[in-house]
Amino acid sequence: MKEQLKTIWKVFRMESSLVFHDSGVLLIFFVAAIVYPILYNFIYYNDVLEETPVAIIDQSGTAASRRYLRKVDATPYVSITDFCTDMDEATKLMKKRKVNGIILIPSNYNEKLIHHEQATISTYSDMSAFLYYKNIVMATNYVMLDEMDEIHLERYEMLGYSGEEAQQFINAVPYEENTLYNPASGFGAFLLPAILIVILHQTIFFGICMVGGTAREENRFNTLLSKEINSRGIIAVVFGKALVYLLIYAVLTAYGLGLIPYIFNMPHIGSYGEMLKLMLPFLLATIFFSLTFGTIIKRRESGLILFLFFSLILLFLSGFSWPESNISNFWRLVSYLFPSTFGIQGYIKINSAGALVSEIPRDYLGLWAQTGFYFLTACVAYRFSQIHGHKINAIKQKIHKVRAKTIANRFGIDEKELLDEGDYAPDEVNNTDNSETTDNTEKAD
Amino acid sequence: MSFWKNTKAVFQRELRQMFARPIYVFAPIIVMAFTFVFFLTFFQEGVPQELPIGVVDHDHSTMSRRVVREFNAIQAVHVNKNYSSYSEARQDLQDGKIYGFVEIPTDWYANVGGNKRPELTIYVNNAYLLGGTLSYRGMLTLGNLASGAYERIVLRMKGVQEDQLMGLLQPIIIDAHQIGNVYTNYGIYLLNLLIPGVLQLLILLTTAFAIGYELKSKSSKKWLETANGSMIAAMVGKLLPYSFLFVILGIGSNVILYDFCGYPINGHEYNMMLNMILFVFSSQCMGIFAIGLFPILRESIFFCSFYGILAFSLAGFTFPVEYMHPVWSGLANLFPLRHFFLFYSKEAVFATGFAGWWPQVIGMLAFGFFPIAIYKRLENALIKQNYPLK
Repeated sequence: MKEQLKTIWKVFRMESSLVFHDSGVLLIFFVAAIVYPILYNFIYYNDVLEETPVAIIDQSGTAASRRYLRKVDATPYVSITDFCTDMDEATKLMKKRKVNGIILIPSNYNEKLIHHEQATISTYSDMSAFLYYKNIVMATNYVMLDEMDEIHLERYEMLGYSGEEAQQFINAVPYEENTLYNPASGFGAFLLPAILIVILHQTIFFGICMVGGTAREENRFNTLLSKEINSRGIIAVVFGKALVYLLIYAVLTAYGLGLIPYIFNMPHIGSYGEMLKLMLPFLLATIFFSLTFGTIIKRRESGLILFLFFSLILLFLSGFSWPESNISNFWRLVSYLFPSTFGIQGYIKINSAGALVSEIPRDYLGLWAQTGFYFLTACVAYRFSQIHGHKINAIKQKIHKVRAKTIANRFGIDEKELLDEGDYAPDEVNNTDNSETTDNTEKAD
Repeated sequence: MSFWKNTKAVFQRELRQMFARPIYVFAPIIVMAFTFVFFLTFFQEGVPQELPIGVVDHDHSTMSRRVVREFNAIQAVHVNKNYSSYSEARQDLQDGKIYGFVEIPTDWYANVGGNKRPELTIYVNNAYLLGGTLSYRGMLTLGNLASGAYERIVLRMKGVQEDQLMGLLQPIIIDAHQIGNVYTNYGIYLLNLLIPGVLQLLILLTTAFAIGYELKSKSSKKWLETANGSMIAAMVGKLLPYSFLFVILGIGSNVILYDFCGYPINGHEYNMMLNMILFVFSSQCMGIFAIGLFPILRESIFFCSFYGILAFSLAGFTFPVEYMHPVWSGLANLFPLRHFFLFYSKEAVFATGFAGWWPQVIGMLAFGFFPIAIYKRLENALIKQNYPLK
């Protein structure tokens, strides 16, 4: 037990010195994880889309159509910026992106209303971004409902019903609506919680991959484990490494999920205690996950180059945007492989919706299951590279012995003397030797 | 003529290197293929349907049961569960199991019949903006339909004639046209920009890596010697193989989207090819700029990742740039993906042709100034190799 603790402490010291002496890793941990949350909050600071510019073609030109348009303009959703005489003119504005929508009131609008027929209003929306369309639909529909109520009342009055009796016709089944957890339907309040978790997940992943890749690049035997750790307990090694990242990310998580939402007034109705309970397995699972994959990475930059695009995939897989219920079974199973899925879901539920950890067993237990699973895979992966390392070690030693023998034979020196001197540790490797080994690995790629 | 000779020499050297470590040729192809397979299968449905909702029925009448049936008859939503209490439903809402629920009050049926206009209450979880909005729309449709159905029954009983009915029920209708995406298909909306977004990440990283690796392995002098000391020949020769690779990948993506998947394009596909070629060029220029600004491989890779990921937000296809702070809408012009998006929206959505998108052509060509800005710095780095290796 004491031996184990010693190993953990030793690995901890070695790994933290690797991390803190590597400016590439520091950039990822301390610049990306600190600057990204601030940048994204500034980008989505005005997260509610208001006053989308629209062009109007009022072919009716009557009091009724003007009343409709006045109300449309008064909604927060759109703002009438241009009055056009025909479709050509309005389309030109739309093509120049000066307006994002067109509302057309036909010449028979008033006539139809007078004759108690159905009048049609046409809208044309720019679909290059969905939010334009949403705003135009909201504005025209809300005003339509409001106008309909008035027209309804007038018509029922003509039929001889008025007051409450007419209301009973028009609105027999009224409803009240409650928008929970993001009442303004803000885009930032919806996107940012997921982004924050992905930032943590990906910076841990790329940071650990970089440390692993560097170790492989620099270590003489191209192994992750330097010679001295090789013989000791693998579990202690994995623990020691994980501890470094856990401590660093305890601070960064407190910053990213505690301080940032508070400063920028993002949704933060969850309790810090519950968040802590969720984040512990999330960080552990992510760290063990990254340690496992870090053993495959051969060069320090490869992680970023090959998997940067995966940040997007993780975001969609989590089901925060495209609804989880509509993700195919195959992709849902794939999504369970990544700690980010349960992390994002759990964080949204606790932070935005105020849930308790006990109320979200799937995400919470899912993260612990991943922690256990990836801990095992990390141990196996390290054991594997250790054996691999020993093999190479043995081969190298054999070569060394043969070389020593030939030299000894040729120059008549005692063989044992040479072997004692030749006890090589990685740091003894000179530069030319090093470049040779990297060249070899390159070809091996 | 010596320029072309030099360029050719570097070009051949680069081809040899590319095939010596084929992972840097295959990685972009594999990443693009995976991205396509992922997003095409992921958004297969187009519009999310049958979103799970709940009903809290305090009424237990024939009419309240009918509400559940009617919900299941429309495409947008599906009633997953009947809850006996509000708190149960709220907990499932919080847990993301349902995106919304309707609470039907006690004696609802009796009160509707008695003209007391009892209220239904709709709850929606908008922390999931898409699921929340769509299920809300579904529940709202039903609310309005229920009102209309009741009204129609009563009016018929009162003897109002059929042709007058619709005018009475709905005096105004809105005929909505969605230009560029008739079915409001989520895949069409996102894939048109996500694919070039991923391509842009690959271009930035590969460009910075191709040059940065020469610095890292201290072979940059040899590289310049191959080009007879001409920086331009060295750059063009080195990056041209990648230009071909990425243009093929980009145009291939367009062909897959517009020809195989039948994504709508109102303009001409050849113009979108031009857009793609300009986009590859401008992204490569930014890659050169990154390695020139930070002539250390790790720092330029870091810069490219940072910049490339920000491009997704600042292109403005999810949240429009013009609603962000003016600083951001200004900075957005420094991202090739932004220009690509504007070109796409003008050509593919509105079919404006050259008259519409010429500013984007100039914008993307202007990225050519970025490598010129760091020309001296990069040349020094290549010759002196005086930056740390790691």
